[in-house]
Amino acid sequence: MSLFLANSSDPVSHIVDKPIGNWRLFDVDIMLSMVTVLGSAIVLVLLLIYAAKGSKTGQASLGNRRYLPAGKFSALVEVIVVYLRDEMLIPVMGARLAARYLSYLLSLFFFILILNIVGLIPFVDVHYAIYHFTGLMPFDNVPESKTAALFGGAATASISVTAALAVISFFVVQVQGFRELGIGGWLEHLCGGRELVRGSIFLWLVIPIIFLVELGGIFVKPAALAIRLFANMVAGHTLLLTLLGFGAVALNADLGFFAVSGITLVSGVGAILITFLEVFVAVLQAFIFMFLTAVFISLMAHEEHEEGHEGEGAHGENHGHPTAAAHS
Amino acid sequence: MLIAAADPLAFNFYTFITTIVVCLVVVVVLGLVVWPKILKGLDERDAKILHEIESAEAARASAMAKQKEFEHKLAAALEESDRMLREARAAAIRLGDEIRAKNESELADRARRAGEEIENARRTAVAELEAHASSLAIAIAGHILEREIAPADQKRLVEQSLAAMNTPNR
Repeated sequence: MSLFLANSSDPVSHIVDKPIGNWRLFDVDIMLSMVTVLGSAIVLVLLLIYAAKGSKTGQASLGNRRYLPAGKFSALVEVIVVYLRDEMLIPVMGARLAARYLSYLLSLFFFILILNIVGLIPFVDVHYAIYHFTGLMPFDNVPESKTAALFGGAATASISVTAALAVISFFVVQVQGFRELGIGGWLEHLCGGRELVRGSIFLWLVIPIIFLVELGGIFVKPAALAIRLFANMVAGHTLLLTLLGFGAVALNADLGFFAVSGITLVSGVGAILITFLEVFVAVLQAFIFMFLTAVFISLMAHEEHEEGHEGEGAHGENHGHPTAAAHS
Repeated sequence: MLIAAADPLAFNFYTFITTIVVCLVVVVVLGLVVWPKILKGLDERDAKILHEIESAEAARASAMAKQKEFEHKLAAALEESDRMLREARAAAIRLGDEIRAKNESELADRARRAGEEIENARRTAVAELEAHASSLAIAIAGHILEREIAPADQKRLVEQSLAAMNTPNR
């Protein structure tokens, strides 16, 4: 109960990453999000290995059924993979780039997705409930600045986690830029493109401005990725905990049985509805992070991409669309 | 009880590094173990579906070609049967005409022969009648003349009588 009362005062404290009890490794506090990220990664790898087993073409003795996915989970993963590959990544990046970065982008999507989903499951509260009812506690005298939970929490509501993911995307995008454009091409890209650099001498006046904007954009793009994911997760969980905290506030204010019950019921129903929304947001934010990374990668092959598709009409429009969206 | 407000923007370098390491490990492991299998399975299924569609389309094209060939043969057979019927009908008509002409010819021939036989019979009968009539006339004339008419006289009288009978103005 003390946890809920604390949440009612400051629901954000429930979201913020905290050290786990007195766990330390090499004189470093073990944060809850570290364990959650590691645990979620292990679960993700195991789940996807299971899915891959079902997606593999079966024995010839199965006849034509050997081509079908074995199990609903494999089919679900396949549907997501096929949709992302055929409907999103190939139209945005082209088949060659999509094939090159498909493995990374799919891994990124599923990794963020499982972190978001794990964040929605109240593992921390389950820990505290177990401690409360069993009287067993792994740590003594855990202060408010630390947590007694061993796993759980919204890891993607930690800027440290989302920044790490964005930094990886940053390096992938820049490596792609160097690979595709070379150092000279990359610098030309920063200066506004080949047409501008090799164009009229008067246009050179704008190159410093464009260079500064593009240079800033290199860092702003991953920063935007990190902040978008972090902010969405924090906002969603804050809203959810605020709704759940209404009942605790009412109880704390000693409003009487019926008032407390009514407020708790209404806020509980609202929290359930928001949870459904949060499930959608969890999937959406994972998708947006992955998709924007794909767009940034394709931007680094922008000139070749455009040249390769000159005069393709509608196909070219498909390529331009998400790119323009990313710029905006 | 109010607690100190937590800072959600607090950055933890170790969490940052841990996440990078874990994420890279996940990317590598999934890239080696999971995605190749899933993508290979999907590609094999795509290839199978494509192969089946191509086979079905080839079978359909083959069936259509066979149907066209069958229809062509059927049309040729119908045309051949029509031609045979026309030829048979023409042959039947020609044969009928021939038979009818032959019958008519035979009939005419028979009629002509019958006419000739009748004419011969009539002539014979007339000759016999003439001979008998002349004999009878001579016998009557003999009785009237009461003398025998010699055969030479008889012959002369007959010829005279016949000449008189054949004279148109008489």
